[in-house]
Amino acid sequence: MHLLNTTFQNAFKNIIRNKLINFLCFGIIAFTLLIFGIFNYITFSLETFSQGFAKSITAIFYFKDDIQQDEINLLINKLKESLLVKNVIYTSKNQAETNFSRDFKDLKYILSEFKESPFPASISVEFKAEYKFGTQIIALIEDIEKLNIIEGKQVNIDWAKKIIAFKRFISAVGMFLSLILIFVSSFIIFNVIKINIFYRKDEIHVLKLVGATDWYIKFPFIIEGAILGFFGSVLACGLLLVTLKLFPVYAAFMFKYVKGMIDLKNIPTGIFTQLILLGTGIGLFSSYFSALRFLKD
Amino acid sequence: MIEFYHIYKQYVSDQYALTDVSLSVAKGEFIFLTGASGAGKTTLLKLIFKEELPSKGQILIDSININLIPPKQLYLLRRSLGIVFQDFRLLETRTVYENISVPLVVRGEKKSYIDKMVMNALAMVGLTHRKNYIPRHISGGEQQRVAIARAIVGNPKIIIADEPTGNLDTELSIEILKIFERINANGITVLIATHDKFLMNLFPKRILKLENGKLVSDGSKTA
Repeated sequence: MHLLNTTFQNAFKNIIRNKLINFLCFGIIAFTLLIFGIFNYITFSLETFSQGFAKSITAIFYFKDDIQQDEINLLINKLKESLLVKNVIYTSKNQAETNFSRDFKDLKYILSEFKESPFPASISVEFKAEYKFGTQIIALIEDIEKLNIIEGKQVNIDWAKKIIAFKRFISAVGMFLSLILIFVSSFIIFNVIKINIFYRKDEIHVLKLVGATDWYIKFPFIIEGAILGFFGSVLACGLLLVTLKLFPVYAAFMFKYVKGMIDLKNIPTGIFTQLILLGTGIGLFSSYFSALRFLKD
Repeated sequence: MIEFYHIYKQYVSDQYALTDVSLSVAKGEFIFLTGASGAGKTTLLKLIFKEELPSKGQILIDSININLIPPKQLYLLRRSLGIVFQDFRLLETRTVYENISVPLVVRGEKKSYIDKMVMNALAMVGLTHRKNYIPRHISGGEQQRVAIARAIVGNPKIIIADEPTGNLDTELSIEILKIFERINANGITVLIATHDKFLMNLFPKRILKLENGKLVSDGSKTA
């Protein structure tokens, strides 16, 4: 315990001692993690938004005239078994005619021109709101549409497709940028620890000669990396919070649609935990590899 | 205590820093290792604390072949030694007290034990009043005494000093040698590399003389 305390104290002292380079590193880590956090947050918001659109999706599929009732029943049963579907309501040709007569009383006379109901039988499929799979719902709608018993459908999924495509694009850009920034952060910490090791090489030499173990020498450097990563990520969290609080001011004027998609009121704490874990992890691993590389026996 | 068997050390091809050196140092001995610059004194000392490895031959300390000590266990060997350098090698940002406590801190000793041992070592070298100073605020002689205190604080079996008086005037050098004598009187083996004949005459001890990497004499007088 005493040794652990000493190690942490030494790590902090060493950061202060070589403050210029360590604080520069700290700032760069905060900035790179902020970018990561922003993209992560946008992706999260779009994800939530695309979940929300499932609440309003009810697709109506119209059957061809010549199909058997058995085939319709088979499809209805299959859809009811689907995890994506909340409810399926079947409307027969006659029922559709009755509904029309009820809803459009003034146009009821038109129906007298037809010997039988001119309306196709249909099913109205309501999708489960809690599912976060806009993509799967779209895929299911498209699959149903392709069936040879289906005449047509009534649902507008183009906008949903666009949102999902946009989310994918943002996720991909975010992922790509994040990977680069994580690499940059790791590279910076790796080299800062390398500089710290060279800066303290005389001290390391003395420690070796007085009988310090390999880990006693390496551990403070690893802790230093973790501290840089941790505080860098805490700063990034603060900056992210400020950014998200300030963003609506601009968004109100400039990005009305975007504002609607991004939930700026309920900021998920998970993103901050993720940032702190990532920052500390990057610091820990980069400094570990740096210590391993530059503190050979 | 220390045994060298046909030790060769080669840094570059065709040039030997040490050639066929065999010697034996008994427990509690006080030995001067002498020779001109480049004779191999520092190399011989570095072989003892395994900062260098012999190209050929075997070194035994307390009957343990140190060549066979794996790198991960090297700290155990070094904890049994106290090393003093000509340039002191003190940690500039730490106080005298902190510098002396380093060998005990790295062992994870308790604070109370560290305090007791450091104060004993400070008393041994006569620097109790300087314990809160940082090295650059004390004299060269005092800095060397701090280095000696750091070397003895962990109760080593052997003290190795490489030109400990090289940067000091005669008066201070005598003072330092007296401290080494006091340490030796406690049963600790002392091995000092020096080329100061005056000191060797003043403190008549066993003298090992190196010339061009070869041990040319082993006796109680300067050659």
